Amino acid sequence: MDVILFTIFNGVLYGMLLFMLSSGLTLIFGMMGVLNFAHASFFMLGAYFAYQISEFVGFYPALIIAPLVIAFLGALVEKYGLRRVHKFGHVAELLFTFGLFYIIEEIVQMIWGKVPVGYHVPLSMDFSLFTLMGMSYPAYQMFVLTVSVAIFVGLFTVLTKTRAGLIIKAALTHPEIVSSLGHNVPKVFMMVFGLGCALAGLAGVLAGNTLGTEPAMALMLGPIVFVVIVVGGLGSLKGALVASLLIGLMQTFAISLDYSLNDLIEFIGFSLDAESLWRILVDLTIATLAPVLPYLLLVVMLIARPRGLFGTRDV
Amino acid sequence: MNRIKKIFIISIAFLFLSSSAFSKDTIKIAMIEPMSGPLAAIGLDLIEGLEFFAERINKAGGVLGGRHLEVVAYDNQMIAEKTIQQLRKVIDEDIRYVTQGVGSNHALNIIQTLKKYNKRNPGKEVMFLNHSAVTTSFTNELCDFYHFRFDANVDMKVAGLVTQMANDPDVKKVYLLNQNYAYGQSFQAAAQRLLAERAPHIEIVGDELIVPFGKVLDFNPYIAKITKSGADTVLTGNWGPDAARLITAGANSGLKVKYYSIYAGIPNAMNQMGAKISTFTPIIQITESHENDPDHPAWLKEIEAEYFNFSNKSPYADRQRWMMEMFAAALEKAGTDDPTAVGFALEGMKSRGAKGEVFMRADDHQMHFDMVISHISENVEKPFIYNGENYGMGYITDGWIETKDITLPTTCKMKRPKKS
Repeated sequence: MDVILFTIFNGVLYGMLLFMLSSGLTLIFGMMGVLNFAHASFFMLGAYFAYQISEFVGFYPALIIAPLVIAFLGALVEKYGLRRVHKFGHVAELLFTFGLFYIIEEIVQMIWGKVPVGYHVPLSMDFSLFTLMGMSYPAYQMFVLTVSVAIFVGLFTVLTKTRAGLIIKAALTHPEIVSSLGHNVPKVFMMVFGLGCALAGLAGVLAGNTLGTEPAMALMLGPIVFVVIVVGGLGSLKGALVASLLIGLMQTFAISLDYSLNDLIEFIGFSLDAESLWRILVDLTIATLAPVLPYLLLVVMLIARPRGLFGTRDV
Repeated sequence: MNRIKKIFIISIAFLFLSSSAFSKDTIKIAMIEPMSGPLAAIGLDLIEGLEFFAERINKAGGVLGGRHLEVVAYDNQMIAEKTIQQLRKVIDEDIRYVTQGVGSNHALNIIQTLKKYNKRNPGKEVMFLNHSAVTTSFTNELCDFYHFRFDANVDMKVAGLVTQMANDPDVKKVYLLNQNYAYGQSFQAAAQRLLAERAPHIEIVGDELIVPFGKVLDFNPYIAKITKSGADTVLTGNWGPDAARLITAGANSGLKVKYYSIYAGIPNAMNQMGAKISTFTPIIQITESHENDPDHPAWLKEIEAEYFNFSNKSPYADRQRWMMEMFAAALEKAGTDDPTAVGFALEGMKSRGAKGEVFMRADDHQMHFDMVISHISENVEKPFIYNGENYGMGYITDGWIETKDITLPTTCKMKRPKKS
C-alpha cells in the first residue's frame, strides 16, 4: 500500500511538472497554430534566471521575478519576432522558433558557461516532510506540487470564468470578429505568448534545482512536451493536464513493475527455449520499456484518435 | 584604399609566415573532440590540457632535435558522422597522429576508418592515441596496431571498484544501475562477471538499465526501487545528468547508500549537486590519481601547479600527461616521426604515474597503472577549482588498487606491420 501511495505521489508530481511545461505550449498552439520549438528554451531560461536571481536575493523572490522577466521576454519575441514572421506563413514561424532555440542555447552558454551551474533547493525547504517505507518525501517536492496545482486552478479559472478568458478563447477561434468588437487581438496574442513562456519559465525555476541546470537541458526535454500536447489534444488545457498526469503515472508505475512477457508465458504454463530469438523480446521487462511508453501512446493516439483526448481538430 | 591594401598585404605575409613556421618543423597531433554542443565543456578542457602538456615538452627542448609538438583541434560537435568527416580532413592535411577520448562511439569510428585507411595506404599510416574512450573491445577483439589506449578500460575500472567493494565491510547488497547503450551495457556485464568472481559474498539485489543522456527526468521511482530492494550500495556507470539526477533524487529521499562509480563524482557534477548532496552519502570513484592523496609525489605536484597557473583549473586527468610524455619519448626512441616506428617504440613502454610505474602492455596496447579509489569530501586540503571558482570539495583517498588487480587477460590477436 505504501509503495502504491508513494508511486502515486511521484507520478502526480512528475505529471504536474510536465503539465506546467506543456500548458504554455498548448495555449500558444491553440492561439497561433504554431508549435513553439523554443518552448523548452524558456524552461531553461527560467532555471538560469532563478539561479542568478537567487544568488542575489534568494529563492522566493526569484520564484516571482524569473517568470515575470520571461513573460516580458516572451512578449517581446512575439511582438518583434513572430508577428513579423507571421505574414510569411506557418513554415516561417516554425523556422523562426527553431532558430530561436539555438540562439537561446548559445546565449546561455556565453553568459553562464558550458558546465552545469550550482542551482540548489533552498535551505528553508531542504527537509523531509514525512517518511514512508523508509523513504522520506522532500518538502520541496510537496511545494512544487502545491504550486503547480495552484497554477492549474488559477489558469483554468481565468480562462473559463473571467471576461479576459472569454476574450482569449474567442480570439483563438474567431480573431476577426473579436477584433471588430473593438478588442486588440494582437495584444491578446502577445499576452498569451508571454504567459505561455512564463509558465515554462516557472517550471524551470521549480525543476532546475532537482534536474540540474545546464545548457543541454532544453534539448533533453524537447520531445516529451510535444507528446503531452498531442496526446492531450492540441490547444486543450484540460487535455494537457490529463495527458501529463497519465504519462507521469504511467511511467512511474511502469518503472516499478519488473514483470516481463516471459513471466506471463511461464505463468500460463509454457516455457520458451533460453537460446531462442523470441526470448530477447519477451524478456524485456515493463520497467525497461517505461521510457518508450509515452511515445507508444503518441503513436497509438495518432492512429486511433488524431485529435487527441480533448482536441477539437485533427493534427 | 591604400590602407586596406596595406592590411591585406600584411595579413597575406603573416599567413605565409605562420604556415611555414608551423608545417615544416612541428609534429602535429589532431585532436577531434566536441567544441560545441552540450558536451563542449569536456572537449574544450581536454584540448586545453593536451595543449599544456605539448607546450611543456616544447619548452623543455621539443623532440627529435628541437622539433615542436602542435595540437590541432577539430570540432566533431559530438556527432559520430562528423568525427569521420574531421578524420578525413586530418588525413588530407597529412597529419599522422590523431587523438580523441570523449565518446566511445566516436573512437570506434576512428578505429574502423583508420583500420581501412592504414591497410590501403602503406607508408602513410595514421596512429590513434586514445586518451579516454574506455569501451573494452578496443583492446580486445577490435585491437589494432595503430591504436593505443592511455586510460584504463571499463572492465579494468570495474575490476578496481569491485576489488575495493570486496574489502569494504559495508557492502553486502548491491544494486546495478546503468545507461542502456554500449558503454553502460559493458559496465553492467563486467560488474556481473567480476562481482561473481571476486566478491561472491555480495548479493546483487537489482540490475537495471535506463534510457541514457538525460532522457529520464524523474529518478524517484528508481530510488523507490532501490530502497525496496534493501541495497546498501549502488554500482553505476552513469555520468552527466543521469548520475547527478540519480544521486540528487536519492539524497532528497534520504536514501543512505554508497555510490561506487566511474564518473558520478566528476568535479562539474559535485558543483552542480552542491556540498550537501555530494557528501550526503559517499560518492566513490576510481581515477588514476588526485591532488589530495597523502602520497601524491612532489614532481607531479609541481607539474600540476604549473597546469593550474596555465588554466586556472585543478588537474583532473593525469593520463593526458603520461600520454604526451610517452609519445615524446617514443618519438625519441624511434628517432623518426613515422607512426609505425613510433608504434613499436610505444609497445611495452614504461613511464611514471602518481603511484610508481605505468606501462603500455604490448599485447593489446592497453595502458596499465595503479588506480586510486576516493570519495567526495569537504574536508580536503586542496578543494577543486574550476576557472577560478572554488567548488569547496575534493577527493579523499579510500585506497589504492594495484596494477595486478586490474590486469585482465586480453583476446587481442595483434597483427603487426613489418619493422622497417
